[in-house]
Amino acid sequence: MNKKIKKNISVLIAAFLILIFIFNQNLFRKFYNIINIDYEDRISKSSGFCSGDSTGYLINLKKKFNFKFNPQVINYEDSVPDSNWAIYDTQLKDNFNYKILLNYSDELSIKFIPAKNYFYSKNTSKYAVGLSGIIFDLKVENMNFNSEIIIYRKNYGNEKKEIIYKNLFNQPISNNELIKIDFKTKKINNIYKLIFLEIKNLDENQIQLINSVKLLLKNEFNLKNFEIIDSYQNCYYIK
Amino acid sequence: MIEIFYILIEILFITTFFSLPIILIDKNYYTKPLKFNFIDKISINLIIFANILFLFSILNINTKYFLYLYILVLFYLALFNFKKIYLKNIKIEYFFIILLLFTFLLSIDLADQIYFSWDAKSNWFFKTLNFYQNQNIENLKNFNNFDYPHLGPFIWSFFWKFPHGKFEYLGRIFYIFIYLLSILSVSNCLKVENLEKVIFVILLISLTYNYELFSGLQDVLIFSSILLFVRFTYLIYEKNNRSDNLLLISILVGIFNLLCWTKNEGVFYGFFLFFALFVTFNFSKLDKKFIILGTILVLLIRILFFKYYDNQLNPEYFQMRETISFDLILLIHKLKIVTFYTLIYVSQNPIYLITMPILAYIIYKYPRKNIVNFIAYFFILNFIFIYLTYMFKMDEVELLIKASMKRVIFQTSGFYFLIIIIYINNYVKLSKEIKK
Repeated sequence: MNKKIKKNISVLIAAFLILIFIFNQNLFRKFYNIINIDYEDRISKSSGFCSGDSTGYLINLKKKFNFKFNPQVINYEDSVPDSNWAIYDTQLKDNFNYKILLNYSDELSIKFIPAKNYFYSKNTSKYAVGLSGIIFDLKVENMNFNSEIIIYRKNYGNEKKEIIYKNLFNQPISNNELIKIDFKTKKINNIYKLIFLEIKNLDENQIQLINSVKLLLKNEFNLKNFEIIDSYQNCYYIK
Repeated sequence: MIEIFYILIEILFITTFFSLPIILIDKNYYTKPLKFNFIDKISINLIIFANILFLFSILNINTKYFLYLYILVLFYLALFNFKKIYLKNIKIEYFFIILLLFTFLLSIDLADQIYFSWDAKSNWFFKTLNFYQNQNIENLKNFNNFDYPHLGPFIWSFFWKFPHGKFEYLGRIFYIFIYLLSILSVSNCLKVENLEKVIFVILLISLTYNYELFSGLQDVLIFSSILLFVRFTYLIYEKNNRSDNLLLISILVGIFNLLCWTKNEGVFYGFFLFFALFVTFNFSKLDKKFIILGTILVLLIRILFFKYYDNQLNPEYFQMRETISFDLILLIHKLKIVTFYTLIYVSQNPIYLITMPILAYIIYKYPRKNIVNFIAYFFILNFIFIYLTYMFKMDEVELLIKASMKRVIFQTSGFYFLIIIIYINNYVKLSKEIKK
């Protein structure tokens, strides 16, 4: 083939591939975004204003209060690391009397759904200091069991159980009735591992009568104990 | 619009930073028989500068002095070589244009997506912030994982601070630059027309690029360093000269140092690369001594650094005692899990899907060359390493694999581009011979 024609074909192929790349990555739209949306709004858009990382709210607070210290940042969202990277200043000292609570929830709970002869957790907790109650969502009006309830985590490999809570339940249980518990523990907090709930002496048929179990948790940070300096939806700056 | 301007200035700063000394240095400074091209020279500059920056970091010298030193050296070079510089003779290569164009395109994606990955938010960004805010290396003890190397964040902070000090993501453009440079560099091993190389480069970028690589993680630096190692190793095989490899070996030692200070696993990758090269290439005694001394020196600096700062690898991570306790059932269980996920993640990586069948074909079809052995040795060591890494983790192996194995497999995947290159070079050679 003529060298010049070959060269032209190569140029065409290269240009075509570059265009495919540009369209595939949606770069014209992104170029437009950079021109029209400012840096902080783009961060809020990608990391959330008061959701997910809540970077938007943190940057907003930093602007508003011009911190002379590093407040403690507590994010209740378990799909992101608990980090204050967006506002941290290595030249300032930490002052944990001031806290920023992100994605705060008054009521903490863990929902368990049935498997074979046990239940497993559907969500996790980060800032619980104990258990405050348990609610059974039943397919029937009442159930009666005289059994021990065990809440635990499993160790990898040796299947050794790390017991979080264990108690004997000897009472009739009504559908969606709150059964109060007063038990202090921080072992319940772990966003990486599943938690299991077992009701001893309950066979598979009886377990099938339970839709789910909700474990109510005590919150480490109760807003009533703090002064709210600033808030936006469920994000708070407190002391 | 101001951000686009900042991005352009940052790209100009980075490219000028690594390429200006080349224009100012007289051609004879580079040894002629090696035929380094412009991309190779930029790569060499980058390796030298990154190593100097590393020295500045461990000696706790403010990076602004590095910039002063750089300007001083440039000034000296310009003065010294003033009469030998002919701007008219400077040729702009296709590869350089591609480098600039794609750095800009990927920077647009970076500036728009902007977010950090989990590890960047909890580890790497704090290290970067530490250096950006002029704190010393000892201050890193206040953050998570002091045992993680700091070079990547240090360079990130340098290009964040200079020339603007404005938006954090501008520092991450360096990661884009080294990623593209390494792909361009390895593509230079191809013995085809320049425009065909450009097509190859675009295909490699399309195959490997996704934003996650630049979300503050360090894996792309390992990927790029390994690619640069491959390029200069290829030059050794191409030159095929038992002696006079000191310059290339020095460059490889420089890359080994970068690998060691980018991520902890980089120490192993560097060692595997050198081992595979050492046993497959017939070096002279002097070259062998140089490789051994260089490797020991790099490792010694790391050990001394860890000792000085009383730094230890996180003992919770590797639970060797429990693993070596030899619970056979547990070991088999872990082996099953690691094998299952290795197959899953390898099959998700297009580089492995393309290169592994070609490797098998080359081994079957062609007489075994040293460079093919080099690939085979590294491949074996690489996968033994992946297995051992996860086997020595006692707790939550599955969770750890899900969080990290995809990235671990990506880190070394660039190495296997060499298989495609060998195949194309052999194929082209073969077809040319048939034509004759």
